[in-house]
Amino acid sequence: MVILEAKKVRKVYGNKFNRQEVLKGIDLRVEKGEFVGIMGASGSGKTTLLNVLSSIDQLSDGEIEIEGQQFTGMKEKQLAEFRKRHLGFIFQEYNLLDTLTVKENVLLPLSIRKLSKRAALDKFKEIATELGIEQLGDKYPGEISGGQKQRTSAARAFVHEPSLIFADEPTGALDSKSASDLLAKLNHMNAKHAATIVMVTHDPVAASYCSRVIFIKDGQIYTQLHKGEESRQTLLNDIMKTQGVLGGVQG
Amino acid sequence: MSLTTIILRNLRKNIKHYYLYVFALIFSSSLYFSFVTLQYDPSMDETKGSVKGAAALAAASVLLVAIVAIFLLYANTIFIKRRSREIGLFQLIGLTKTRILGIITAENMILYFGSVLVGISAGFVVSRLALMVLFRIIGLEEMAELRLSPGAILQTMLVFVVIYMLIIAMNYVFIKRQTILMLFQVASSTEQRVSKRSVAGTVVGISGLLLILLGYYVSTELFSGSFTSMGELAFAMIFILSAVIIGTYLFYKGSVGVIFNAIRRSKSGYLSIGEVLSLSSIMFRMKSNALLLTVITTVSALAIGLLSLSYISYYSSESQARYSVPNDFAFVDEQGKAQFADALDSQQIAYKVVHRQPIYVEADVSDITSVNVQSTLGDQPMITPVLSESMVEGIELEAGEAIFMGYNGALEKIFPSIGKGAFRLVGQSGSVELQLAGTREESVLYFMYSSGKPTIVVDDSAYEQLRLDIDPAVQKFTDYYGIDIPDPSAREQAEQYFSDEGLAESNKAFSQYADMMNSRMNMGLIMFIVAFLGLAFLITSGCILYFKQMNESEEEKPSYTILRKLGFTQSDLLRGIVFKQILNFGIPLAVGLSHSYFAVKSGWFFFGTELMTPMLIVMGVYTALYSIFGLLSVLYCKRVIKESL
Repeated sequence: MVILEAKKVRKVYGNKFNRQEVLKGIDLRVEKGEFVGIMGASGSGKTTLLNVLSSIDQLSDGEIEIEGQQFTGMKEKQLAEFRKRHLGFIFQEYNLLDTLTVKENVLLPLSIRKLSKRAALDKFKEIATELGIEQLGDKYPGEISGGQKQRTSAARAFVHEPSLIFADEPTGALDSKSASDLLAKLNHMNAKHAATIVMVTHDPVAASYCSRVIFIKDGQIYTQLHKGEESRQTLLNDIMKTQGVLGGVQG
Repeated sequence: MSLTTIILRNLRKNIKHYYLYVFALIFSSSLYFSFVTLQYDPSMDETKGSVKGAAALAAASVLLVAIVAIFLLYANTIFIKRRSREIGLFQLIGLTKTRILGIITAENMILYFGSVLVGISAGFVVSRLALMVLFRIIGLEEMAELRLSPGAILQTMLVFVVIYMLIIAMNYVFIKRQTILMLFQVASSTEQRVSKRSVAGTVVGISGLLLILLGYYVSTELFSGSFTSMGELAFAMIFILSAVIIGTYLFYKGSVGVIFNAIRRSKSGYLSIGEVLSLSSIMFRMKSNALLLTVITTVSALAIGLLSLSYISYYSSESQARYSVPNDFAFVDEQGKAQFADALDSQQIAYKVVHRQPIYVEADVSDITSVNVQSTLGDQPMITPVLSESMVEGIELEAGEAIFMGYNGALEKIFPSIGKGAFRLVGQSGSVELQLAGTREESVLYFMYSSGKPTIVVDDSAYEQLRLDIDPAVQKFTDYYGIDIPDPSAREQAEQYFSDEGLAESNKAFSQYADMMNSRMNMGLIMFIVAFLGLAFLITSGCILYFKQMNESEEEKPSYTILRKLGFTQSDLLRGIVFKQILNFGIPLAVGLSHSYFAVKSGWFFFGTELMTPMLIVMGVYTALYSIFGLLSVLYCKRVIKESL
């Protein structure tokens, strides 16, 4: 089943004197249960792509459909409503609210559902146990480590069982131990609950956890790699090779 | 690049950060200047002389300086915080702190004194308007002429130079204390971590609440006879003030957080978006805000209290005049009355005369009052004027009955709980026992006759009996003549004769209308000063809260971004913000209103005869004006939310 379908997505910044085309017509399909990595050098347009796909930014041209719903033409309010119900987010800077406890942060997306308090608490318990933050419920973000913050952020993204989760450099601010911890958890959620994840990263190791890796160069899809039946190490090697070809300045 | 270029460029670049500062400056300098101009204006001399207004004005201007200084210093803290990044940048490129202070000071100077000059010219216009309003209130029919007084300009400049020095000192301390790293962090650092609300918090909150209640309780007891000597009274007042202010502080520090926390606990982590933006955000800052909120509450309570009291006296000047001069015109002797009656006759103005012959008798009311009247009177026997039933229209008494006239709010406080019952009137040789049939507010003699005691009306036979047995040593007045003009259109003419005949100068004839105008004139000036200060209090406290909200909403902008990314709409967020502002502005306002209510209630009867209407009017107007600032804050937040994604 196709969850996300993007056709000829273009994004142009600037005015008519100073045009900068960041995305130059990208086609992308994501199936349910996929864990897709998007890689590319700085400035290749990977974060812009994620923002456009997740409806935070508007596209200049093209079409995006998530679960059969078209973004284009939707009002800001409808888009917000859509994000609230169907999408989950994990950001590099955690984006937790400092004024709320871990539990309150995680339960935030549920507050718009007509869900009983009991059910919400059960939900928190379930997701927090899976992500290993059940002890931290009453702590404030200022009191926990970066890795714990990112797992809280992940819990918030999963708690309302969205159709699609966007992760923007989720390991960017973490040390390697916390990073592999988090990726293992994401992998687990992906495998166990068939959660669909689209993750932007520039870290080959992080990307090697994905089932498919898409490379972007200068606003276009350069190539993609499928993990298939092979091991993570093989995929990592392939990623490194591709990056080697992809990277650098044109000679 | 020279230092001057840097300064000028900065000034241009930062103009949008400055507008707040400029507004604060123009506002406070124009406020101060218009006040000082009024103080220096010769046309105020007349009013000044009448009530020692000069002293009142001077005291008020000192108070105003204090408010203006606090206000500007507060605006400056926000302003310098906003620029901390830039200051850090200067340090990074190798400017010394002294040099940076120099740049900031020079930049400030241009802006500061520019704004003060604009403020002074605005103040000149404002003061002219204010003078017109003042003349209107006190009923002077003169055209308000104002001269630009050099004294006023000098004084204003002097005050603002001193405040400028303070600001420089403050900036110096700010810059000195910061390292480059800290400077970069200021904007993002949160004010205070929410600590675990413990038993201590609850105790602090409850003790605050208890202190406030205790203060309220003492205030209701203040004039009920519990405190008799002047020293005790002053002590009680100081106690009330400090109990309520400290209580308010503790209340903010403890209770609000505890209450919010309890609400939050009950949700066990499952908060709605409104609660996220209001409760958690306010709680996050409540502790550090406690002092600021206390200041704002106290200032509001002070303003509302003063405004209410002065408005009460202005509002009741008419009934007050009717109380002190019961008839349109009152005369102490036959001669004055005859002179005036002749004048009225010659102009064929119809009039009615009442003649009352008071006798002064000692009253023993110890059985019908709840407190020891002796202690209130300081061991003097209570000598009251006594009239007979037939001298006062509309009084019907059985034999042996008596009624207290002129028993108004103030008397009620001095002789409380006069129930029905027996009391005695003591003559020189014997005494008469009478039954009190009731009390009335309406007075029947000129106020000097009774000097703060009720007038007792008895039936004719008792009056006769007492009259034959009077103690000559305590008699004050023997006659009272009242003249009423039934036709309202002729009253003004009569008033004219009254002043033409020069009767008022004799101090034996009084006019109700003149009495009212006189008290209006006195109260008008006081009310004007108080209204001016009240307005200043209102605008400064409103502005401080507004600036604070501006600051807060900018600090919370990243949160708005997160929430909007997560899919909360602008209107979701705005609903939360509205709720937050209602709490933010509403809590200090509600506490301030409650404080001022008790303050006014404890002593209003010294100022007038009407409590509820004037007080509610003042409170209503204050709340309406204050809400404008809440509305402005919401609008500002709305813009921040809009820009946040």
